[in-house]
Order: sequence, then structure tokens, then C-alpha cells
Amino acid sequence: MKLLVVGGSGYLGRAVAVAADRAGAQTLSLSRSGYHPAGPGAAGTGLVGDATRPGFGLSGAALEEVREEVTHVVLAFGSVRWDCPPSEALAVHDTGMRTVLASLRQLRVLTRVVHVSSLLVLGRAEGLVGNRELFVGQRFRNWYEYGKYCAERRARDAGDLPVNIVRLGPVLGAPPAGLALDTSHGLLAALPYLLTGGPVHLDRRGHYPCYVSEVGSAAQVIMNALNAPSTGQTWSWYDPDLPTLAQVYTDLCAAWGRIPRLVDVPALRPVLRLASRRVGVIPELLDYSRPWFELAPDILSDLPGDRPVSGGDYVTTTGRHLRDRGRVMAGAMR
Amino acid sequence: MSGVDTDVHPFFRFYSAGNFGEVAPQRLSPMSWSLVGEPMERATRVFSRRVWGRCAWAEGSCYVFVGYFGCRPYHNLSSYCALADSIPGVEASDVTAAYFEDIEPPPGIAGVTVPWWARARAPGRVLLELAGTGPRLRLLEARVAELERDARRTAGGGADTAGMLALVLERARAVLVDAWSVHILSTAGLVPARVALRRALRRLVRHGDEVELWLSRPRELVWRRLHAAALAGPDGSGDFLASSFYEVADGHAPWASYAVRQQVVTGTAEDRVDVLDPGVAAVEMLGEHNRRIVTALSSTVGETMAAREHSKSLVMRTLHVFRRVLPRWAVVRGVPDHAWPYLTVAEICGTGRLDVLERRWDDRREACEKALATEMPEHLDLRDPASPRPWLGRGVRPAKGVSPGRATGLVIHPDISDISAIPAEPVVLACVSADADVAPLLPFVSAVVTERGSELSHIAILSREYGIPCVVGHQSAAAIPTGTFMTVDGTSGEVRVHER
Ligand SMILES: NC(=O)c1ccc[n+]([C@@H]2O[C@H](COP(=O)([O-])OP(=O)(O)OC[C@H]3O[C@@H](n4cnc5c(N)ncnc54)[C@H](OP(=O)(O)O)[C@@H]3O)[C@@H](O)[C@H]2O)c1
Repeated sequence: MKLLVVGGSGYLGRAVAVAADRAGAQTLSLSRSGYHPAGPGAAGTGLVGDATRPGFGLSGAALEEVREEVTHVVLAFGSVRWDCPPSEALAVHDTGMRTVLASLRQLRVLTRVVHVSSLLVLGRAEGLVGNRELFVGQRFRNWYEYGKYCAERRARDAGDLPVNIVRLGPVLGAPPAGLALDTSHGLLAALPYLLTGGPVHLDRRGHYPCYVSEVGSAAQVIMNALNAPSTGQTWSWYDPDLPTLAQVYTDLCAAWGRIPRLVDVPALRPVLRLASRRVGVIPELLDYSRPWFELAPDILSDLPGDRPVSGGDYVTTTGRHLRDRGRVMAGAMR
Repeated sequence: MSGVDTDVHPFFRFYSAGNFGEVAPQRLSPMSWSLVGEPMERATRVFSRRVWGRCAWAEGSCYVFVGYFGCRPYHNLSSYCALADSIPGVEASDVTAAYFEDIEPPPGIAGVTVPWWARARAPGRVLLELAGTGPRLRLLEARVAELERDARRTAGGGADTAGMLALVLERARAVLVDAWSVHILSTAGLVPARVALRRALRRLVRHGDEVELWLSRPRELVWRRLHAAALAGPDGSGDFLASSFYEVADGHAPWASYAVRQQVVTGTAEDRVDVLDPGVAAVEMLGEHNRRIVTALSSTVGETMAAREHSKSLVMRTLHVFRRVLPRWAVVRGVPDHAWPYLTVAEICGTGRLDVLERRWDDRREACEKALATEMPEHLDLRDPASPRPWLGRGVRPAKGVSPGRATGLVIHPDISDISAIPAEPVVLACVSADADVAPLLPFVSAVVTERGSELSHIAILSREYGIPCVVGHQSAAAIPTGTFMTVDGTSGEVRVHER
């Protein structure tokens, strides 16, 4: 297996490279900034390119190598940014995805592609939703969700390519060596405010699932999807223990010996929305303060290969990792 | 007719080819001008009277809203800016951004004022006028279709062909006036409607300025239907698509050399999948209250935009009736075929004596020959009518994104031999303006970049319809070598050339 990870220098991309390395694959990690895997836990070869450009933005020998030799591809490019402007979201996930699919069509020995999608493509979907559903009339909360929906739509419609799709919820866990976790986006963006002890309104005080998973297990699911015999499939992955949002925030804050003040006072929502930037919370985060959607109960049973085991208490580990690097408190103190 | 062949307005002395400059031929025959300029002038006067009541400055024997200098059609930039200034909240720059390549508005004219109460009620009146466009368009559509059918019937010859031709021409003139009037109404009404939408979006929607273009996209444009009709066979409602915008004498020298021919769209790229429209997604992200306001405003803008394109197509279909009928009517009138483009429609349809007409077309031909040899600038400063100067305002404007999104690809130009010659990789179409013949290429390109154009140019509207990024006002777009690898950002207006 010769694997190309598009977005290979990112959080998930690196985890995939490590998993692929363990499985004996040769990995090329492509990103715009380039990536020089070094040190313990690093794997693969770095390539400087751009997914939104034809031929992955590669030229010469690198392009030749990719076109002639790559057998497997993982698409894990673009970051999780809930406040991403629409132009950016669409340039990466819609037009970018279309360009990537066109580039993939030129790989001569391509056997499998896995597109890393997000469970958030389901937006505010109502009723039970599963792997089959993509658009069920849901309203999207932000342009990241809409962008990922477009990307998955494009991937699903590329019937001529051997594509499988893996949907993930928020991924947590200590990142591979050399990478700092991004705390300005996603669920982690609420941490600086939570650590100040300010009250946060969450419907039902956050006792609803937020579909998190551990980064190593997510990488393993992606590897399994790469090796699955069938194509055109969509699978979802999250921690089967289904920790609630309240639990996740409580475990994260535990690293600082704090207990977040989660309250169910809807009147706080507009106040927080107004003051969000000032208290260091992106307004988009507040859109996740209601139960998200309800997934079909047996959705994990469709997964190909062995079901991975999450690495220990990964949520607390994430908190400790952030604490040790002083990443969050620095923000909270500002 | 002299070198400059209509009178310059005594006060409003700045003119711009504006949208004319993009889609109309660079020069128009006197006949075509009589079918374009005169009804436009009339329609704009009616619009201004209905919105503001009688204003002395918008009346008079001299054209106020259009001009025809050196055989080139112009809009009167000064008077359009004065109209914009007469609506609360709207500025002259909103008009120039929408239709006149964002050029700096010319200096205003002291004394051109509208009473405060007429100003205050103007937005409501514009809205009221716009509300009536739907039924008017439906009626016009039926009248144009009948006209086309009757025009086809006259082609067969027969006993009373002359009578039939006269009847068709008479009805065509009436239809043309009405079609222009809806076109002017929707074109003018679009400006305040967009200003209102933009204000609301800035206030109510995150990234409001970015989503405006999606939100105001019409649900459906008439062009696809007409291109489909054109493919279904000749003589249908799409027949006009194979001829020039606005020039009815496009088979005659010298006018043929200015007339850019359109082309019928013959195919669509297969890989366009229906994703949920980003405009719909944007509205759905809002809360109930804001959603209602934004939906009302954006559908007004979208519908008006659709009405504008629809009325434009009806004008062109009616002009096509003239294109087919006038040569035969000229025979009936005893006017030689080479001569009718130098007459006006009123003259050829009137009862004037042939020897008088003959003197007129001879004089006009001579004047036109002289006029065509004179370079006519895009934007015209006629403060000194004896020496016309280009109006540059503050100078060159930066390129502007008019259809959102970003794409990278290889440059092609409209002269590409045919669709099969388009490379398999994503391509960027680079051209001077909405050259009428780029429409067939749009389904196959990933982005468009043009030298000319404004927010509401034909090319901008078509690009949004096809969902491809478009940048207008890029100074050297047409000179970018074929095969150049570049990125076009239709939101920011940025165009970047890459090494391959
Ligand atoms: N993390 C999660 O919780 C989660 C959950 C569900 C789905 N996902 C999806 O997984 C993917 C990766 O997420 P992540 O958390 O790993 O994000 P990340 O850490 O920000 O990594 C994103 C990677 O994409 C690269 N990239 C961005 N634009 C690129 C371009 N135009 N061409 C090539 N590479 C590009 C980045 O490198 P450069 O900036 O140097 O190019 C980086 O390597 C995203 O598509 C995300 O939607 C993530």
C-alpha cells in the first residue's frame, strides 16, 4: 500500500500516518506548509502541495510519483473551524473537493479513497439519522458544517472513484509529537471561559451526547475503511460509551482541578451571545448548546474491520496535555 | 447628424457606455439606436415620473437618460446618479458599482433636487412599481410570442404581405416600448432593493457581505429556457440567441463588424450535482425573526433580477422580429437594402416621401462614416462638447469579485475552437467582457475573469447562475496567455498567477 494523506500534517492526518506506518504502508503526507516527520511517533514522507489546485498542486517528480504509484488516499484536509467564513469553507470543501476528485481520477493504480467527513454534516437534523442520510432538510449551524456537507455530497457522487466515507464527531486525545492541539476552534474553544468559572448555559446542563472519539481510534477506523472490500460506503465513528457534553467538559477541566459551571438557564444564552467575543467564546460555539441530533442506535455495527478500542481516558489526557503546555490557561488569563 | 450626433444634455454632461459597453456592440446603426435609445429614454422618464412625480430636470426635448455620440450608445451617468441621490439611503456610487464598472460618480449638479416628501416616498413607490412586474412580464411574454408567430407568417409572402408587415411593425413598436419599460423599471429598482438587502445582511447575518450574492440569486433565469428552445429548432423563442445583442442590421456593413454574435449553449457539464444552495443554507442558519426579514428582502432582489433578465430577453426577441421584418418592409417602402439601417424606425414606418428619406440616409451615412473613424471612450466627459474627453474619475478601480467562490485552473479564451478543445483539467475563462459568445462555455469552466463588468453585468449574473466564481475589472484579463495556471477568488476579487 502506498498511501497519500491529503492534509497529512494535521491532527488527524498525522494520526493516520502513524497507523499506516504501523500497518506497514508507505505514506506521503501532503499539505500546503509541508511536513517533515521527525522524532518519535512521526511517520511518512512530507510533500508540499495544495489540494485545491489541479494535480494536488504538485509538479515534476512528486506529481509523477503520486500519479503512478499511490494506491490509497485519505482526504483529511482543511481544519475544523466553526467560525470559518463561507468563501473559505466552500473554497476548501466544495470547489476544493471537486478539484481533489478530478486529481484523483488521474491516479493510475488507485484502489481506495477515504474521505474524512464529519457527523456535523447532519447539522440540526431532526428524527433518527444514520449513515444513509446526508441531507434530510436539516439547518446548518455554520459554514463549516455546510462545507463538510458539500464535500460529502461531492464524494458520494463520485461514483467512478473507489471512495468510502468516514464520519467523525469531535476528535480528542493527545496529538502526535510535535503538534499542538488547536484550542481556538471546536469544543475546546470553550475551555478558557469554562476555566474562569463563568456560568455556561447548556440545555439539560449538557447531558446529551457529543459523539467524541479518541484520535487513535479514529485513525484506526479510517485504516479499516481503506482496507474494506466494498466502496461507496459511509460509516460513522464515535466513542461507543457516548460521553455527554457535560462529561467531556467536566473531564477536560479536571486537569486544572476545576468544575465547570454548567447551568440550564436559557435566559443566559442571549447574554452570552452578546458577550461571547469578550469572554473569549466564538458565537458559533453557542449553537451547540442544544442536543445535536439523534443517531440510529446500531450505526456502529456497520463499521468494517475490528472495532477499535479508545486509548484509556483520552478526554482527561487531552486536558492534561493542554494544561502541561499552558495552552488554555494562557488564553483564560488574557 | 454631425460627428457627435445627438445633443449633449445642457446640464448632465457625463456619459458612460456602462452595460451598453459590455453587451451591446461598440457602435450601433441609427436604426438600432432608434429601437434602443428612444424607448429607453421614454421608459426612464415614465419611471422617474411615477416614483418622484414631475421633475423639470427629468423632462424636456433633449435626451436626459441616454446619449448617442459617434454612433456609440451611452447612458447619461450624471442623470442616473441624480436619480440614485433622490432615494434616501442610496448613493450615486451604488449605481456606478452596479452598472458602471464602479467608476467614480461625476460631480453633482447644483439645483437638481427632489422635494423632501418626494424623496421620502420614493422607496415605497419603487417597491410598488416592482410588485407589478410579474403580471406585466407574463402578458408581454404572450404578446412577444404572438408577434414572433405573425412575423414568421409574413415570411411566406402572399397577397397582403405589405399590410401584414405594417401591422407586425406597428405591434412590435408597442411591445418594444413596454418591454423596455419593464427592463428599465427592474434595472433601476434593483439598486435600492440591493442597498436595503445589503444593510440588513450586514446587521443581521454573520459574514453578511459574503452571502449577499448567493442570497440575491434569482430562483431561475430565463436564459436556460431560451437556450433549450433554441436547440429545439429554428424559428422558436430562442431563435434570436444566434444573433447580436441590440444590433438589428447585423448583416450589414459596417455594423456587422461591431456586432458580437451570441452562441447557443449546446451542452452542460455532467458533474454538476444539486447541493443545497448556499443562499438557502445561509437563510436557514438564522433565527426565525431575522430569517423572515432576510427572506423578504432577498426574494425581492432575486425576483427583480430575474425580471430584469426576462425583460431583457423580451426586448431582444422583439428586436429580432425587427431584424427579420425590416428588410422586407424596406422593399415595400422602396428603400434600398443598404439604406434602411441609416433611417430610424419612425422614419421607415412613417409616410414621409422617399426623396426626403433618400437625402436623410445619404447624409447619415456620411456622418456615420466620420463618426466611426473617431475613437469613443468608455466613459465620457462632455463638459466641453467641442472636445469630448474620457471620464476617468479617480482612475482605475481594483478588480472585483462578483460571483463568490475560489477556483484554480488553466486559462482559456473565448476564441477556443469548440467545447471539445477545452482541456480536461479545470479551466478559467479570461475575456474582455461578457462577449456575447461566452455563454456556451460557462457550463465547462471553473471560474471567469474579465476586464470589463460590474456587479450586475450579464457575465456576473450568468456566473452566479452557474455557481462559478467570477472577477470583473481585471485590467489585463484578455492578455493573460492561454494555459496560464491561476486562481480566481470571486469573493475578494483576487486573481493569482501560479508557477506550474
Ligand atoms: N478534528 C476533528 O475533530 C474532526 C472531526 C471530524 C472531521 N474532521 C475532518 O478531518 C479533517 C482534518 O481535521 P484536523 O482536525 O486534522 O484539522 P487540522 O489539524 O487543522 O489539519 C488540517 C490539515 O489540512 C491541511 N490543509 C489545509 N488546507 C489544505 C490544502 N488546501 N491543501 C492541502 N492541505 C491542506 C493542513 O495543512 P496546511 O495548512 O499546511 O496546508 C493540515 O495538515 C478536516 O477535513 C475535518 O473536517 C476533523
